[in-house]
Amino acid sequence: MMSPTGDLTGGGGGSCGDEPRPEGTDTNPAFSALLEDSAEDLYENAPCGYLSTLMDGTIAKINTTLLDWLGYRRAELVGCRRITDLLTVGGRMYYETHLAPMLAMHGEVGGVALELRGANGSRLPVLATSVVKTGPDGTAQLIRTTVFDATDRRAYEQELLRARRDAEDAREAADRERDRVQKLATTLQRSLLPPQLPRVPGMRIAAYYHPASADEVGGDFYDLFPLRGDAWGFFLGDVSGKGATAAAVTSLTRYTLRAAAVYDPDPIAVLDNLNTVLHHRYRRDEPRFCTVVYGSLTPTDTGFGLTLATGGHTPAVLIRADGATSLIEAPGGMLVGAFPTATFVTVEVQLLPGDSLLFYTDGLTEARTGGRERFSEEQLRHHIAALGPVDASTLIADLTDLLTAFGDGVDDDTALLALSIPPTEGPRP
Amino acid sequence: MSTEFATASHTTTAGPVLAFTGELDAHTAHTAFAAIQEVPLSRGQLLLVDLAGLRLCDSSGISALIAASHRATDSDAEFALAAVPAHLARVLTLIGLDRVFTTYPTRADAHTAWIAAHPEPHATNT
Repeated sequence: MMSPTGDLTGGGGGSCGDEPRPEGTDTNPAFSALLEDSAEDLYENAPCGYLSTLMDGTIAKINTTLLDWLGYRRAELVGCRRITDLLTVGGRMYYETHLAPMLAMHGEVGGVALELRGANGSRLPVLATSVVKTGPDGTAQLIRTTVFDATDRRAYEQELLRARRDAEDAREAADRERDRVQKLATTLQRSLLPPQLPRVPGMRIAAYYHPASADEVGGDFYDLFPLRGDAWGFFLGDVSGKGATAAAVTSLTRYTLRAAAVYDPDPIAVLDNLNTVLHHRYRRDEPRFCTVVYGSLTPTDTGFGLTLATGGHTPAVLIRADGATSLIEAPGGMLVGAFPTATFVTVEVQLLPGDSLLFYTDGLTEARTGGRERFSEEQLRHHIAALGPVDASTLIADLTDLLTAFGDGVDDDTALLALSIPPTEGPRP
Repeated sequence: MSTEFATASHTTTAGPVLAFTGELDAHTAHTAFAAIQEVPLSRGQLLLVDLAGLRLCDSSGISALIAASHRATDSDAEFALAAVPAHLARVLTLIGLDRVFTTYPTRADAHTAWIAAHPEPHATNT
C-alpha cells in the first residue's frame, strides 16, 4: 500500500496525473521555489478538502486535509471506495437522486450541503462544489469536488434558528405577560369603579359615574349594600388628588366603609373607623383624605328613615313629592383622614312616597360651563327645582345629559347617586 | 390654562410666614409641599400661611394646608391662616376645617394676636 504522503498524483485510476502545475516565473528564484513548492503543498494541506472521483464515483484522489477530517488513510479510500461510501444514508440518496444527475446534465453543482461520514462513524457537515472534467474529446472523465468544513456554519445556522426560536418564545411570553397585565389592570380598575347597585324593595336607585379621563379613574366612589335585617347602608364620596395614588385611597376607603358598616352600622362609628384607617395609612405622606356621606336606610310604614352622617361632603339635595327642594346639611362634619380625630354629625330625614334624594361629588358643581365660569351648587339646585317631582332614574338621566353637555368642562370625576320612593297610587298626600 | 403659583417666605418675631399666591391645585401643590417642608420652624413659633393672593385652591391645595398644619404640630409650633379668600372660606366650612384652623383677616392681625399671647416674644424657647 502507498504511504499517505507518498502518492500525490499516481493514485486511483491513473487519470489524475495531469493536474495543472504553476508555471515557473520570473525574477525571484526563491519566490518561485516557494510557489513551486506550494502547489503540491496547497493541494494537500489546503484549508479545504479536495476529492477527485471517477464517473462511477470511485475515489481517484483525495487530499490530506480531507483524509484528516475523515480519519482515513489514503490507501483505505483511493481506488477502492466510492464517494457514496463517505456519505451518510441520507446523503447517499441525495447524491444518487439529485447530485449525480445534475452533474451529468450541467457538468457542475455548487454549494451543496452534505454530511460526510468519518472512519469512526462521526459526521462532518460540509459544503461541496463539484465540477466535471472532460477530456479532449468532450467526454466526462473525472469529477473534482471541493469540500468545505461547514461545522461552524452549521453551528451558526443552528444558533440562528435557536435565536429565532428564543425570540419567538420571548415574544410569545411577552404577549402572554402583556395580556396578563392588561387583564389584571382591567380587573383592578373594575374593582375601583362603583359596582352595580342592588335592588332595594320599596325604593328606586339610580347612579352614574363620570370619569373625567379614561386613565385617571377612581377618584370618586359610591356603593349601596344590605345591612342586618331590612336595613341598607350606602355611601358616596370623593378622595383628594388624582391618579393612581388617589385610586389606591379610593379602594382603601370603599373597603373600609363596607367592613366598618358590617362591624358597627352606626353612621358616626363608620366614619370614625374610616378616619382612623386613612389617617394611619397616609399621615406621614402627603396628606390624603376624602369627603364622604354615609347613610343607613330603614324601611318605615310609609317610606324609609334615613340617618345620614357627613364627613365634609357637599350637601345632598332633597326633592319632595311636591317638587320643593332643600339641602340636607349637617354642618360641622369634617373631612375624613386628615387628622387623628374628626367630628361627624348626623341628620335624620324621613323619605316619603314621591320624594327623591340626590348625592353628588363636586365634579358636577365645579364643571366649567363656559370659559372659567363654574356650575355652582345654587345653579344645580335651580336646575333640579325646575324639573319638579322626579324619580331617581329620571333625575340621573337628566343630570347625565347635563354633564354630557358640559363636555370637556367636567375636569374632575363625578359620581351621582339618587334614591327615590315610588309615589303611592291615587291622590298625593 | 394657566397654573401660576408662587410661594414666598420671611420670618417675623412670631415665626415664619409662608405666602401662597396664584392657583394651588394638583399641578402646583408640589411647590407648596416643598415650601412647607423647607420653611425653618422652631418650637413655640407660629407658622402663618398667608393666602391673600390665592386665586384658586382645590383638594390638592387643601392637602397642602393640612400638611402645613401637620408640620406645625410636629414642631410643637402653632399654625394659622391669614386672609383666607371667600371661596376657600366656604370650602373650609363645608369640610369642617373652619373650626380646626385658626384664621385671621390679615397677617398683621395674626402677628398682633401672637404678640399679645406671648408677652416675651420668642426669647425663652430654645
